[in-house]
Amino acid sequence: MNSLISKYVGVLRFFCPWVIGLVSSDSHADLFDADFSAFNLNGLLDLRYQYSDSQPGEIENGLGKFRDGGNNSRFLANEAALVLQTRLDWDWSSTLTLKYADHQHTPVDLSEAFLVYRPVSTSAWQFGTRLGMFIPPVSMENIGTAWTSPYSLTSSAINTWVGEELKVFGAEAHIRFQTEGGDRLKWFAAGYANNDTAGVLLAWRGWSLHDYEATLNDQFVLPESLGIQTHLPLQASVTKPFVEVDGRPGYYSGVSIDRPEAYNFRVLYYDNLGNPTALENGQYSWRTQFWSLGLQVHLPWEWIFISQGMSGQTRMGERIQGLFAVDNGFWSASFLISKKMGNQRFSIRHEYFATDENDFLPLDQNEERGHALTINYNLTLAQRHQINFEFTHIDSDRQSRVNLDQQTRQEENLWQIAYRLFF
Amino acid sequence: MANCLSAVFLILSGLIMARPLYAVTLSGQVHSDGKPLPDVVVTLKPLSHDPRLSATAGKPVSWRLDQKGKEFIPHILVIPPGTAVYFPNSDDIQHHVYSFSKAKRFEIKLYKGTPAEPIVFDQPGLVALGCNIHDWMLGYILITETPYFTQTNAEGHWSIDVPAGDYQVSLWHPDALAPDTLPNEIKQIQTAQTLRHSIDLKAWRASGKPPDTLQMQGYIERF
Ligand SMILES: [Cu+2]
Repeated sequence: MNSLISKYVGVLRFFCPWVIGLVSSDSHADLFDADFSAFNLNGLLDLRYQYSDSQPGEIENGLGKFRDGGNNSRFLANEAALVLQTRLDWDWSSTLTLKYADHQHTPVDLSEAFLVYRPVSTSAWQFGTRLGMFIPPVSMENIGTAWTSPYSLTSSAINTWVGEELKVFGAEAHIRFQTEGGDRLKWFAAGYANNDTAGVLLAWRGWSLHDYEATLNDQFVLPESLGIQTHLPLQASVTKPFVEVDGRPGYYSGVSIDRPEAYNFRVLYYDNLGNPTALENGQYSWRTQFWSLGLQVHLPWEWIFISQGMSGQTRMGERIQGLFAVDNGFWSASFLISKKMGNQRFSIRHEYFATDENDFLPLDQNEERGHALTINYNLTLAQRHQINFEFTHIDSDRQSRVNLDQQTRQEENLWQIAYRLFF
Repeated sequence: MANCLSAVFLILSGLIMARPLYAVTLSGQVHSDGKPLPDVVVTLKPLSHDPRLSATAGKPVSWRLDQKGKEFIPHILVIPPGTAVYFPNSDDIQHHVYSFSKAKRFEIKLYKGTPAEPIVFDQPGLVALGCNIHDWMLGYILITETPYFTQTNAEGHWSIDVPAGDYQVSLWHPDALAPDTLPNEIKQIQTAQTLRHSIDLKAWRASGKPPDTLQMQGYIERF
């Protein structure tokens, strides 16, 4: 509970200088103008039926590639989210996303909370910034209310990881150049904290495919029986995705080229600048770096093609003779095509993912390789009621499954029917 | 003799000048990839210096460019220079309309239901409108000096009555793939004619419309 309070106090401390700065400056004297009580409430309710034919997943402390696995059929309230957008004045707004999700550590918790400063520009150059807790702009698919995707229920491997471990607490700024024809070139960069454990799950659990996003006070149980605590006795049995360990801020920066309704290309480089030997309360700091590429192309007859790629490295622990205790390279690539037919949408995504290993703890086996196929059909009625039918197949090979007396190669399936209400 | 000739010339030219300008109907059909293309702006610039051809019909009237359903209505407005345009807000939410186009740079803060002062567009040219709150909102105002302009309807059809003469006929659409290669040709218009054009679009969905589900409208441009 104490850590929870200190986290909220930390959030307030971060915002305070900005708010004070705003109130005292003349140009924002109208910040609390009575006309700006304007707020916008959006939200999501997501109810599902799932049938899985798979190994126990992360929730069952297993090494299955789905979050909730086993040979199971179940009905569940997958998620309920509220997104509150408040306009503070013409240039400032705030966004707060509060959610409940199945098996969420804190039943109702913040998933994003940030202030946006976006002054209007009457020149070709535009500047904007956001401050607070947010998800880095990696995903080209999760563009709907509460970070949902219109294309699938299950996020791609890359975007699943983004939702689990990449949330940051910091400041992001962009400069955008727009031509008279509407084409946009944007450069963006961010400095942030609370991202030192990013990479743990990729190393010890591997890539995963689901749609759960971590929250402010979240924690994930690490896979059991892998001997993680034998090699690293100070590591806690859970990882907390949103903590600061080494006191060193990280950064990301990128460029986006956008022709609205035609194509969008985005490249991003991320480095959390973690100190790999820092440790606090059982949480190690991991040094995680990657490149991310995203491409979205609108094709004739309402087809859309989306591809994402990611390649990087995560390292942790002492360095002995040039090798770290844990050192994993990771990469993934996804290819999605989707067709919209009025209020129906049909999507297919194929993706590859892998991690490899180059460290001095050969007993801690983290290499894996796999591919996945997701097929989704959805129908949206009255703009808000969405029925989804989805099938996901994952074929993966992970060495450390021998510790659980499993075949290293597993083929897993998940069938889902979902009713999603957007408001 | 010379005097006589020049007298005849004067009478003849007087006859020509006094000849009433008879109207000709010019019409056309615009397609994109085999489908009719609505909202294409067709302008006809008279090439002769007959002042009667370039005279603007009456003085400019004022126009409305509404914000309704988080969209600019109409999407494209064609006006002569000097026209005042009102920007009412028919939605019950705020819009923050702006333009960074050379022909007119401005910003208007539209509270719900509050009518604003009109903006006067003096210079010919193209003004692209945006909304700082709703990123997808895009609208266009084309300020043109010629009084002869029209737009294609839902069937991609256009028609205009002009005095007979020589004109530069130009087509424009905001979503055109290559604005430099849009049809732009000189036509002698003496009798009714029907023209056919095809325009390649850069996008397959019309620009400026809100996403058609609440899932996508709830998304805020995050960075
Ligand atoms: Cu707007």
